[in-house]
Amino acid sequence: MQLLDIRNLTLELETPDGIVRAVDRVNLSLKEGEVRGLVGESGSGKSLIAKAIMGVLHERWHITADRFSWCGEDLMRLPYRRQREIISRDIAMIYQEPSRSMDPTALIGEQLAESVPDHLVEGISWWQRGYFRRKRAINLLHKVGIRDHQSVLNSYPYQLSEGVCQKISIAMAIAKDPKLLIADEPTTALESTTQAQLFRLLASFNQLKGTSILLISHELETVAKSTDTLSVLYCGQLVEAGDTATLLQNPRHPYTDALIRSVPEFQPDLAFKQQLYALHGSIPTLQHLPIGCRLGPRCPNARKECVKTPQLERHHNHFYSCHFPILRTNDDE
Amino acid sequence: MSDLIEVRNLGKTYRKATGLFNHKEVVALAGVNFTLQSGETLAVVGETGSGKSTLAKLLVGIEQPDQGEIWYAGNQINCSEYRKTNQFIRYIFQDAARSLNPNQKIAEILHAVLRYSTVLSFEQREQKISQTLRLLGLLNEHGNYYPHMFSGGQLQRVALARALILDPKVLILDEALTALDPSLRAQIVNLLLELQQNTGIAYLLITNQLRLVRHFADQTMVLHRGQCLDYGPTPDVFANPTHEYSRKLMNSVQY
Repeated sequence: MQLLDIRNLTLELETPDGIVRAVDRVNLSLKEGEVRGLVGESGSGKSLIAKAIMGVLHERWHITADRFSWCGEDLMRLPYRRQREIISRDIAMIYQEPSRSMDPTALIGEQLAESVPDHLVEGISWWQRGYFRRKRAINLLHKVGIRDHQSVLNSYPYQLSEGVCQKISIAMAIAKDPKLLIADEPTTALESTTQAQLFRLLASFNQLKGTSILLISHELETVAKSTDTLSVLYCGQLVEAGDTATLLQNPRHPYTDALIRSVPEFQPDLAFKQQLYALHGSIPTLQHLPIGCRLGPRCPNARKECVKTPQLERHHNHFYSCHFPILRTNDDE
Repeated sequence: MSDLIEVRNLGKTYRKATGLFNHKEVVALAGVNFTLQSGETLAVVGETGSGKSTLAKLLVGIEQPDQGEIWYAGNQINCSEYRKTNQFIRYIFQDAARSLNPNQKIAEILHAVLRYSTVLSFEQREQKISQTLRLLGLLNEHGNYYPHMFSGGQLQRVALARALILDPKVLILDEALTALDPSLRAQIVNLLLELQQNTGIAYLLITNQLRLVRHFADQTMVLHRGQCLDYGPTPDVFANPTHEYSRKLMNSVQY
């Protein structure tokens, strides 16, 4: 069943120099139990999309979408209160930099107890609710793999390491059994051993509870292993989306191709210390975006037609937006 | 030929007062040995608090070692002569945007480096700066820019320019590649590899990205709580790590 279905999401910001279109007509869909990766460089609008889904964008942003449906209900057309209700019931998000997104003045135990949703404590006599919440908080900590709950509950966020904070923010997110968990750059602050632990944790929630996960990252190699489907963004445009395996095997868009070829791990016949494949130039700033396909100036096979924004094309379950896609010879076309 | 850098039994202990008379000792680095030849790369991997950054700080002379010796090309380095050694060993910080003075133009930053460490005249310094900027794929005009006018990848190039302008023999990259976006990272890695081939510069790469280490480094050292657990050629360390912790670390890449 389609859980989230977004068509042509556009996010615009009014600035003194005119309107900046940070996210340009992005499609995103998620099925139940699906793990989708959202990959893009910094400034490509990954976090903005996540925040738009959560409905926590600042009101200065203009959000327009042809369709923004959650479980068949169009969220954009619902009254604000109803929107908040649905989102707070079904969607949870793990923010970037966990230690900074927690309340520095409250103990972890208090914050965790607060995140236990009200409908779970209904039917419990009021004098037992505090005890219940605390028990539930301990339970949550055990679920994310923190055994020493006593000392963690009684500490402030600054006293704990980034890895532990990350686990706590996951515990807060899963407190309400969400249908969709959005993880925004969950591994940037962590070491590689903790990263592996975290991905195992997320995978176990996905398998045991059927939680869908939207995994946002700027590193293709970390996302590739633990996702079913992948969407690649560049400067606010969706360049390619599809099954992770097919996408990695035959990328159609030059940008995805460059991303894959720039990672040594995906290049088994790359000699030691050989030059990596890299696009020249750097990411344009939002004030100076090129017209048409935003990869244009950096693209190795850009031509005259690229000044027009390419339409999203479809081949089986594989979407790409490029006038001159890369076609491999072993393709079945 | 002697080794470019030889480190023998290097150690550092931080003292922290816990009361009026008592103090707690934190061993940041305990008896580390390694050698580095020119044109080679040594990667140092390990978790936070494993002493990676302490090692880098001891090598550039920001901190004084408590024990052990650092030999550079057959001469022992003394911490008091750090002015002399900082021309051979240069250090790049993790975040290029925050390690450059926002008040100074790029040319001023580079002039300052040359003024403190060389005896070149103004014209010679100008020439050296434009040479270095061009080496790193920047233009002469970029000298008149302020740091905020650059994008992330270009800033990292400027930081590299500041390090390379003294023609060092060793460059220490302290997580310098971590914060970069993938396509920019590939650019910088290419640049570093090219420099190594052309000038025979040696790198000490401090990083968490094991995939990069496997591509980039000749030698790998695994640090854990100040102890050196594994040290050897990169393929060997990756294929059969001897210690339990390093095995865990290597497995975390494959998972």
